[in-house]
This record gives sequence, structure tokens and C-alpha cells, in this order.
Amino acid sequence: MIGSNVARVEDPSLLRGEASFVADLIDAGTLHVGFLRSPVAAGRIVRLDLDGALRSPGVIAAIDGDTLSRFAGALPVLHTPDPTFVEATGFGMSVPSVYGLARDRVRFVGEPVAAVVAESRALAEDALERIDLVIDEEEPVVDPRAALDPQSRQVHPETPGNKAAWIRFARGDVTQRGIVVEGRYRIGRHSGVPLECRGVLGAYDARDDRVHLWTSTQIPFLVRRAVCEALGWSEERLRVAVPEVGGGFGPKANIYHEELVVAFLSRRLRARVAWIEDRTEHLLSSAQSRDQFHRTRLTVDGEGRILAYEDEFLVDIGSHNLWVAGVVANTAIHGHGPYRIPAFDIRGTAVVTNKAPTSQYRGAGRPEACFALERTLDLAAARLGIDPIEIRRRNVLTSSDLPYAVGLPYRDGKPIVFDGHDFGATLETAVRLVTESRKRVDENDAGSEDSNPTGVGYAMFIEATGRGPYETARVRLGADGRIWVHSGAASAGQSHKTTLAQIVAEVLSVDLVDVRVVSGDTDLAPDGIGTFASRTAAVAGPAVHRAAEELAKEIRGRAARLLDCRPEDVTFVDGELRDASGDRKISWVDLAEAHLRGGVLSTLPFPDVVERFEPDTVTWVAGTHAAVVEVDADIGRTRVVDYVVVDEGGRAIHPRVVEDQIRGGVAQGIGGVLLEEFEFDSNGQPKSVTLAEYLLPTSLDVPDIQVHHITSPSPLNRLGVKGVGESGTIPVYAAVASAVDAAFQWSIHMDATPISPRSLLAALENDS
Amino acid sequence: MKPPVFDYYRAASVDEALDVLDEREGARVIAGGQSLIPLMNLRLARPEALVDIGRLEHLRRVGVVDGSLYLGGLVTHATLCGHPAILRHAPLLAEAASHIGHQAIRERGTIGGSLAHGDPAAELIACCSALGASVYLESSSGCREVPAREFVQGPYSTAASHNEIVTWIRIPLADDRRVGFYEVAPRPGDFARVGAVWCSEPENDKSTVALFGSDCGHMSIELGGDGRAADVLDAVRASGRVQGGLVRVVEAAVKRSMPTEFHE
Repeated sequence: MIGSNVARVEDPSLLRGEASFVADLIDAGTLHVGFLRSPVAAGRIVRLDLDGALRSPGVIAAIDGDTLSRFAGALPVLHTPDPTFVEATGFGMSVPSVYGLARDRVRFVGEPVAAVVAESRALAEDALERIDLVIDEEEPVVDPRAALDPQSRQVHPETPGNKAAWIRFARGDVTQRGIVVEGRYRIGRHSGVPLECRGVLGAYDARDDRVHLWTSTQIPFLVRRAVCEALGWSEERLRVAVPEVGGGFGPKANIYHEELVVAFLSRRLRARVAWIEDRTEHLLSSAQSRDQFHRTRLTVDGEGRILAYEDEFLVDIGSHNLWVAGVVANTAIHGHGPYRIPAFDIRGTAVVTNKAPTSQYRGAGRPEACFALERTLDLAAARLGIDPIEIRRRNVLTSSDLPYAVGLPYRDGKPIVFDGHDFGATLETAVRLVTESRKRVDENDAGSEDSNPTGVGYAMFIEATGRGPYETARVRLGADGRIWVHSGAASAGQSHKTTLAQIVAEVLSVDLVDVRVVSGDTDLAPDGIGTFASRTAAVAGPAVHRAAEELAKEIRGRAARLLDCRPEDVTFVDGELRDASGDRKISWVDLAEAHLRGGVLSTLPFPDVVERFEPDTVTWVAGTHAAVVEVDADIGRTRVVDYVVVDEGGRAIHPRVVEDQIRGGVAQGIGGVLLEEFEFDSNGQPKSVTLAEYLLPTSLDVPDIQVHHITSPSPLNRLGVKGVGESGTIPVYAAVASAVDAAFQWSIHMDATPISPRSLLAALENDS
Repeated sequence: MKPPVFDYYRAASVDEALDVLDEREGARVIAGGQSLIPLMNLRLARPEALVDIGRLEHLRRVGVVDGSLYLGGLVTHATLCGHPAILRHAPLLAEAASHIGHQAIRERGTIGGSLAHGDPAAELIACCSALGASVYLESSSGCREVPAREFVQGPYSTAASHNEIVTWIRIPLADDRRVGFYEVAPRPGDFARVGAVWCSEPENDKSTVALFGSDCGHMSIELGGDGRAADVLDAVRASGRVQGGLVRVVEAAVKRSMPTEFHE
């Protein structure tokens, strides 16, 4: 069961259109919330008069930041790193307060300023236009480098010097004598724009004075905690449940103004209230990401072996980032790469600006670190006249190096040890696979007139997966004889209903269809963290596994009474429970029915186990990507025509799910390196507000992706599982940029993403 | 986003539609809605009333009369891609229409709508200019014919007045006509950044290159029968409308719309 490509449990209902996303939960009685959003990037609210809205047809209520401040405080920050890590890295942060509706000042275009509740969304939007909002504009801070200038205006009073976080990840002496190459890199601002926008629906239960909040989120338990903390509610008062979610990718692992406001309005109005984000709102105000500048300095010897690596980086986090600690820490730590780096000094600063807030997005700082390191390595290879493959070969960690201690702690305070087997093997395999693939293409295309330059680029990556602190799983026998699984994980399309069920099905020897996974509901599991940071398989998986094993123990005790044998003789075989001889057997339905009224076990509650898994620390994945591009140099268009991924990861619960997670990650990486960008003008006005400007990759932009997975079981959990959600994206930027350089024989060095036709043509012009 | 409140008229005849347009200054025609509806949803366009001409089936016809191909204003892009008369007499339109959005958009978007909207990136406008087509505009005062080359006057600005409807497009046929098309867009189906349509009629000793695209706008360059890419580029540079790195892209599009013998 574990390790097999079973048909996905999710598919039938999704394909038949029977699944309920948050918008499907709207009924005739549901009221609709519209948000008035700031039209300017920075300013002081001089007048905010809701009268016109209140008198608008179909409007039930309207509220502004001032009124909300009587009931709600700020949203809490979502991550504070371990003290050991803080000590070792000098990490610090200044966290600005984020309120449900702007108080006094606005700090980005799209920031919610007021909310209107009406009988329909259209009526709400009509009412929003009748609100009198006057803002005294201030000069927005738009460039993060300028933001650090002492003369710059402050975005928030609580972030002096516009510095939201700082870190230094350093070990050894970087002043080595050798050949030095320096690079300057930029990864443009973009994010995981999901197919389904956000949405929140609050249903008020008057009898129990509770709000049932449905939200398209990856972190239901954290939403509950944050909203209750801000509203001063006991967590008993709020149930957060996740409906079907059409993609999360990180931006939905965040706490938003709208969640706080809808929860509040639902209780205040004693009504069923919904806000469904439209695409423009999404592109304006859902968390954005990346947006980093790096200055690197690599010292190598004459053979290209790394002696020292330095990187100074800036992250433009926009007006706030509740995960700012995670972004800077990830970027700093993953600047190390899967190589032997005797001395390194990586210093980073997160800067606030008057742009949309940011959060984590697939890779969460690692892609940026990887881009900077890998591009610099390519620069060194070019300088020394060494093949890019060879320079990596000379530095990569192989079986004689691993496990490899970096000498500094991870975000959880535990020493970083790369627990892999042979990262170099992924490089060799990638080279072999892409070479074979290219030979097949050349043979098929013999005689083709295509004269566009093509190039192959390589990039290696390392990724910390399975971050704690823990995940919770509840596994129980249902009255229907099925096994029900509730965990802290919340699927946004990652096949949890299948993979977590596979674990339980294996432990209990039942059919997959008899294991029902219902997660993401704070009433069904006692506790949880959520789905992000490539942690579900590696943390929720073992939690579910442990819970299933504990459940098995309880079940044995119950079944023994029905089978008239000792508990230790009960066996789970083929969806039945049998005694040692196999002569006596009962079905799971029999067992369940015995607990019902009149049954032999009816004085006992249904077996119901809660377990928590706390991983010792993160478990590391590494690998190599090879990208093949074809460039139309006259018009500056780059196409990725072939792509190979070789990763060394953990044991696959469902190999196809693992491969397709990687493929999805690669597709998003291709989007980020070639197409996607949130652009702002000098007034902080966003220019990418529809999908005509923010370009997402389509099936025509992504080639077939070969994935070769090498299993190196994790030593950190009994399943041997490592995470896989993000690795597909991490090295794509570097691999594609490298391939573009290769297409022109390294006469250019693409140092910024997205590699647009304009930037490529400019680079080719400069070169010639 | 939801549009603001508007009145809706479904016209049973062209005259009915024209009556509403005369009566109400804030009324706009809607056909396929593929440009207008997004603008209304974003509240960038706020017509007080929509006059839906989608039921005027006679405007969906395609036919050859007296040496010209006539297309009704409601002919969809999908029809342009596959109609036998188009493929036979004006295959350029089929090629161009295949670059418009995606299948769903092509099933509803119309050639009349594309012309009336006047988007700088509209392929069909450039095709009509290059083919020497003309546009029939009907109003309550009658019908007039405007050469396609003069119809679009600037971005989103056409020769049509508020109370006129694009009813027919006429394309004069020519047996010896040679055509070419090339578009530069970020992804298939995206709005063109730069595009070129080439149409040569050796018997009349003339050729036309019509440019389109969000980066360069509509521009029609008329040359002799032997017109070369170099001549086109001279005209483009002289106009001052295309600067810097864009010139190279325009050059590529123009050359790729023409057979290689016309490049130098």
C-alpha cells in the first residue's frame, strides 16, 4: 500500500464537480462582504465617511478600522525562531502591527480600509463606491535599497529604518586567498497565484455563540489561534474548517485581514457572511513573494573548489510579512547549497516598503538563495574555463561527505546535518538523462531547419523538509466500520486523502476506500500546525502512522473479545480481523456494530486515538535539475523544451504523487523565471492587476518533465519519509538562467528574473 | 468584480438597436462581450445600457458578392478560423483569428466587435487594413462605407460615432494576392506585443504591411508591388513610433510575415 500508485481518492468527486470549495458554501441567505481598498500606496486617512454606503440599496452594515479597533487587536506574527538559532545568527526582527482594517494610515494599494455587508456582492460593490474616502498621500517607499537609506521615510513607526528582520549565517574565515568572482542578482516579485482565489465564510451559531469559519487556507489551526487572539475570543468560540481548496502554494498559509473581519462580522451581525476574493483583489492584496537582491562573492582555488562564499541579501517584504523570520532564515541557511563550503558569511535584511504584503511561496527563500549561489558558481566556472558540470562535481557532497554537519543550528535550534546519501549521484544521473534525451530529440529532428540557439543549464539544490515543531493526528473507528483520520494538515490539492489513507490502510490491512481522511477542521482534530514548508508527508505522515499503530493496539483488545482470543493473537488480514489460527474472523463492520446499542462492546466508546509526532529536526533533500532552452534571439523569447529532475529524497508513499508534486513545482519555477512578475510604478501603484499583465505558464509553456527519484530513507521517522512539496521549484530559476547563458556560449550572464524578452534582448545587445 | 447596474435591451432588428442608441447617450452595443464585459466587471466601462445585437442572425453571414467577400459584423473568430469561404478567399483572416485568445473566447468574440473596440493589439484590424477592406457603418441616418485603413484612428478610437453599428466588412477579392502573418506575444493567445500583416497584389503593383501590437499600435505602410522589409523598416523608423530595442522585434515580425525574397 505504501509505495504504490493507487488511484487517487480525491478524483471522483472533484471530476464530477461534487466537491465544495468555499464559494460553493454560499446559499440564498448568505450575506456578502465587499472591502474598500486603499487606492494609494501610502498616506494618512483624513476622512472616511460610511454614510453613503449605509444608505445604499441592500446594505446591512458597514465598518471601518476605527470601529473595528474597539473589538480587535493586531494579527500576531506566525513564526519566532528558536533562541539557539537566534543566538547563533544574531537574528532579530521588528514586527509592525497589522490590523483587520487600516487604522489612521494606509500602507499599500489594496489595503482593506472598510468593509460593507450587503445582500449581494454587486450591491456591496455599489455601496463601496459611495464611501467618502480622503487620503492625504505621502511619498511611498518603493525601492528596498532606498528604504534603508537613513533619509528615507518610515513605512511603519514600529520598524525603525524600515528594517523588519536581519540575520547572519556565518562560519569560518571567508578571507581566503584565491580566485574571486562577484555577482549581483535579482529575483523578481511574484507568487503562487492559485487557480482558486481566497475566500472566507463565517456562519454564526446563536445557540452556542460560536462562529464556524470556512476559509480557503493551509493553516486552519493557526487561523483559529490568530483570529481568537486578535478578537480576544476563547478558541472554543471559533471553529475553523477548510473546504476543498484549489491550490495554496504558500500564500494561503497566511493570516489575512479578511479572515479577521469576516469572523468578527459573522458574530456581530449574527449572520452567515461570506467574502470571495476576485482575481484583481488577489493580484493586489494576496501575499506576494520572492523580491530579493543578492550580492555574492565566491572564492575558489585554481581547480574551482570553493574556499569561501559570501552573500549579502535584501528581501523586499512589502508592507508586512507574518513569516518574515522564515523567509530570511531560509534564504540564509540555503545559501549553503549541497556543497563543501569551508567558510561562509551570509547576511540578510528584510525591508518594508509600501507594496503588497508578502508571505511564503513554494520554496520560501530557498529559490532565491539557490539562484544567487548557482549563478555565482557558473560565473566561477566561466572565469576558470571549467565546465559548469565539472565545477559542481568538484564541490558537491558525496557519500564520503554525508551525513554532513554544517556547523550551525537550523531554525529549530538543532545542529544542521544533511542526512542524505550521495548528492553527487544526482548530478551524474541528471547529466546522463538529459544527454540521452537530447540525443533522442536530435535523431528525431534530423533535417529540421530550426536554427534557434539552444542551451543546457544545470542547477543543484538542497532543501530542509519536515519542519516541526509537531503535527497531530487523530485516528478512530467509525460507526460505519471505516477508519476516520483527522490531522492538522490541510490539503490544497496535495493528495492527503490518498497518501495519509495509504499509511493507515497498510498498518491495518484494510482497503483504501475504508479509510476516510477528513482534515483541516479544528473541531475534528484537537490540535495542529498545517500544510506548508514541505512538512505533511514527513510530519503528519508519521503522526498518522503512530496513531494508526496505537489504534491497532486498542482494536486488538476489542476484537479479542469478539474473537475469543488474546489481544496479541489478533491479526489484521485483507480487511478482516482474525484470530491466530485464522478460523475465527470478523469484519470491521462487525467490530463497529458491537459498539452500538445492544452490542457486546456497547459500554465502551469507539476506539479513538490522538498522537503527536515531533520530529527531532528537519530532514534534507537534495538534487539536480537540468533545463534545456531554445531561444528566439530576434524577439527575445525563451522556451523551455526539455527538463530533467533528479532528486534524492525520502521513501515515497505514492511515487506518482511525489513526481507530480515535483512537476508542479517545476511549472511554477518556469513561470517565475520567464513570465511572472508583480510590477509597481514609482508611486507604488501595482501594474499587474489582471491575468493579462501577470502571466502564468500554460501547458504550452511547460515541457514534459522527466523525474528520477532516488530514495534515501529519512532517519528521522519510521516511515523513512521526507518532504517534497517545494523542491521542484527551488533550482528552476538557476537552471533556466544557466541554460540561456549556455545557448549563447556564456557570452551573457542572466542575473535577474523574470528573463523577459526585453531583458534578454538588452543582454544580447550589451554583449554585441 | 461586478459591473454597476445597467439597463439591457435585446434588439430584434438593426433598426431597433439604432433607435436605442439614438435615444440613450449612455448606451453601448454588445455582441460577443469579450472585450466589453471584462471592462464592465472592472468598472472601467460603465454604460448605462447595453444593446444586445447577438440575435441579429443575418449579421453572422459570410458570402461572396460581385468580387468581394462580405462578412457580417457578428461573424465570430471561431467562424473565421474554419469557414470554407474564408479559407478559400481570405485565409489570412483564419490565420490571424487563430491567435486570438482561446477557443472559448473565439466562439463569442466577433470581427465587428474587434474593429469597433479598436485595440492596438487587434490582429483583425491589421488584416482588414492590409487587405484593403472597408467597414460598413449603419446609423438611423443611413449607411456609410469607411476604408479599414482609416477606420481605426488611435488606441481604442475609431471613426464610428456613438450611434453607429459595424454591420458588414467587405474584402475585395484578388486572385494574385499573397499574404503573410506574424505575431509576437508572450504566450499563445496573449495580446500581441508586436505583429505584422503582409499583403501583396502584384497585378496592382502594390503591397501593404500593417503593423499591430500593444507595443507599437496600428500602422499601415503602403509600398509598390516589390516592397521590401527594408522599406517597411525605414518607414517605421521615420515615424518615430518605435524606439530602442523594439525596432529589432518589429524587424523580426515584419521579416517573418514576408517570404525571404522580400527581406532585403
